Amino acid sequence: MPDSESTREHPFHPFARYELDPRFYDEMFDDDGTPRTASRRMRDTLAGFAAEDLTKLQDRVYRRFLHEGITFTVLGAEEVTERIIPLDFVPRLLTGREWDHIERGLKQRLTAINLFLKDVYHEGRSLRDGVVPVDLVLGCPQYRIEMRGFKVPHDVYVAVCGTDIVRTHDGFAVLEDNLRVPSGVSYMLGCRDAVKDAFPELYRAHRVREVSDYSERLYATLASLAPSTRTPRVAILTPGLYNSAYYEHALLAGEMGVELVEGHDLVMHDAVLYARTTKGLERIDVLYRRLDDEFLDPVTFRGDSVLGAAGLFHAYRAGSFVIANAPGTGVADDKALYAYVPRIIRYFLDEEPILQNVETHLCREPEGLAYTLQHLGELVVKEVGGSGGYGMLVGPHASAEERAAFAERLRADPENFISQPTLDLSRAPCFVDGRIEPRHVDIRPFVLQGRDTQEVVPGGLCRVALRRGSLVVNSSQGGGCKDLWVIDE
Amino acid sequence: MLARVAANFYWLGRYLERSKHTIRLVRYPLDQLVDRPGAEIAMAWEVVYRTLGQAPPGGSATTEEAEVYLMTDAYTLAGGLIEEASNPDSILSCWSTARENARQVRSHLPLPVWTCLNQGYLWMRESDLPSAWASGPAALVSEATDRLRHLTGVMDALMYRDDGWRFLSLGQFTERLQHQAAFLGAWVELGQRTEGAAALPWADLLRICGAYEVYSRHHSMEVRQEQVLGFLVRDPELPRSLRFAVHLIEEALAGIDPVGARYPLAPPHRMALRLAAALEVEALDGRRDGDSARFFRIIGGEARKLHDLTVSAYLDYTTTSGLET
Repeated sequence: MPDSESTREHPFHPFARYELDPRFYDEMFDDDGTPRTASRRMRDTLAGFAAEDLTKLQDRVYRRFLHEGITFTVLGAEEVTERIIPLDFVPRLLTGREWDHIERGLKQRLTAINLFLKDVYHEGRSLRDGVVPVDLVLGCPQYRIEMRGFKVPHDVYVAVCGTDIVRTHDGFAVLEDNLRVPSGVSYMLGCRDAVKDAFPELYRAHRVREVSDYSERLYATLASLAPSTRTPRVAILTPGLYNSAYYEHALLAGEMGVELVEGHDLVMHDAVLYARTTKGLERIDVLYRRLDDEFLDPVTFRGDSVLGAAGLFHAYRAGSFVIANAPGTGVADDKALYAYVPRIIRYFLDEEPILQNVETHLCREPEGLAYTLQHLGELVVKEVGGSGGYGMLVGPHASAEERAAFAERLRADPENFISQPTLDLSRAPCFVDGRIEPRHVDIRPFVLQGRDTQEVVPGGLCRVALRRGSLVVNSSQGGGCKDLWVIDE
Repeated sequence: MLARVAANFYWLGRYLERSKHTIRLVRYPLDQLVDRPGAEIAMAWEVVYRTLGQAPPGGSATTEEAEVYLMTDAYTLAGGLIEEASNPDSILSCWSTARENARQVRSHLPLPVWTCLNQGYLWMRESDLPSAWASGPAALVSEATDRLRHLTGVMDALMYRDDGWRFLSLGQFTERLQHQAAFLGAWVELGQRTEGAAALPWADLLRICGAYEVYSRHHSMEVRQEQVLGFLVRDPELPRSLRFAVHLIEEALAGIDPVGARYPLAPPHRMALRLAAALEVEALDGRRDGDSARFFRIIGGEARKLHDLTVSAYLDYTTTSGLET
């Protein structure tokens, strides 16, 4: 990489191993190695650091996460371990203009998805008109027949949405929507605090858009959905200490000043939801649930669930409180249905999608299956209901045996899979082994849908595949996170 | 406050207090290693294990006279109380369980409180007893004491005085009452068995309870058994006295159920008031040792009953009784 004045002062060059690859969009440099306008200050600051200073910075942000216990839980076969999510201290930058484009696209997408969800649980116009195949919706494991005909308060099915977005040379594209219990916002907040602490001057100089009011916005969003006009009592329902996102549940409850409840804290009486407190039972108006539909209520859904509360769904249908996100939203974040979201946007909003989808082949269709089997070595194949990077095949990185075994699974159950081209995810600078190197990244911004409001916090979880060459950014698969700065130039 | 959250505050208080208690106990024989004869050190270990109602590792606290065996036995005995994960009273177990309770109530804890507790736990988990032992057996315990004091100070300075604080305090002083009664009972019983040169020094009892200097000021340098026990039971100003613990329990319960807001008083509150009255008038001076030991066993039993009443009144009640309130 070209030297700047500041780097010549140090024999150590942090960017010495930073190799550009024309296949991948680089978030910091143009193709010729010139820092992009928005990244110049950041690049020069980093280049001016000595090796030990960079190591100290990384150690400082790591210790902050360790001491504050910013962890995720990994359930092993025999033990439960808490892990610190690897945090890279070099922030990723997006310009205000880039962000505004993303924000418009996300709002458009969520508006259409909420209309679609209302439709599939009521009139089913979009199904009758062939916008989405009927069997894809009704056969989806996340379709909840129990929600059919139920009027969700204010028609807000999805109140909190986390959408994964990638960038290639062609621009931004949506990789998937997370409409059930999207997580990761605590890392956005944790990264911001840690990186702001590490680079106070740089942060101020960049005029970064704030994310610290996320909890206030979330509370306002949830409270706006309450069925009654009195001051609503909001609670977060967590599966408990051993859930991988428990830290996040506790953080949000603390910041919003609401109770963090578990299933056994809840009591239903006369179709009203109560929490068991030291002063008797107290009513709850809005339940921000952080566990999947099937565990919510052992009477209605999985009978062996000990995480939810018996009778919860019955009380919900009686209308005495709100569940956010509503049960049954998972039908719209199924990976097969994802392919139809652009059509859903056109159908319900009569607009062209602002954010593009990634090309997707549905193995449920004969042509899609044939194409996938023929190009297995070039594609990423995913289970339609999968998440967390599990159950997928990254064709270019798989051995011939792995591909052959996966092909068998595909032929046996084609409806369960989709395939997408191996994306040339953009790369951003990361501190690895004492130097700055490029690594693949994506972002997960969070959209909040209230009764009359729609907001996107200017930032998000920026996931990074820390292993050289890896495209998998999931924390359970060796991924880490970094701060995302939206800057006004 | 959610009953489950209150329960976690309560147990957080109990485990932190238990940790303090174990540290104070284990420190006693470790300090003696420096200059006391083996028989006294063995007796000190017996007090410790009897207080905790445990059998010493290997089945006996009997210590060999030879220096090398003395240190070896002390290492095993201390290890069981410092870092043995299967011992619920060990310092590591207490920190670990306290941290789990704190994780459950993270949303109610100021960040510095959580960070301080978490740092203490991480330090304890990564501590290496063999190397700590080589640099001085009491060093690890001293560091643990400092970290606990630091945590206590941060909690005291930052925690909001709501029901979370009250349940924490309730747990802390219920634990203190129960353990202090067990400790005093064990001391009295062993004191009966040993007399003359091998007798347990009452001044040591005061030192373990952090009360030697204040006793000297209030009574005299001449340490008398009856006065020591009376002081450790009834003095309202002494943090390690039974009466002090009951007073703080009563104060916490009064905050949870403000007097006058709900009559009749909740069963735990009534019991705490009754215990306070009993301790105030109980005259230990002149009691025979056998009676004193029995008295401490009764107090320990009352502390356990108080715990049961607290659980059934606030933490684990029926839906019907919950709706009534």
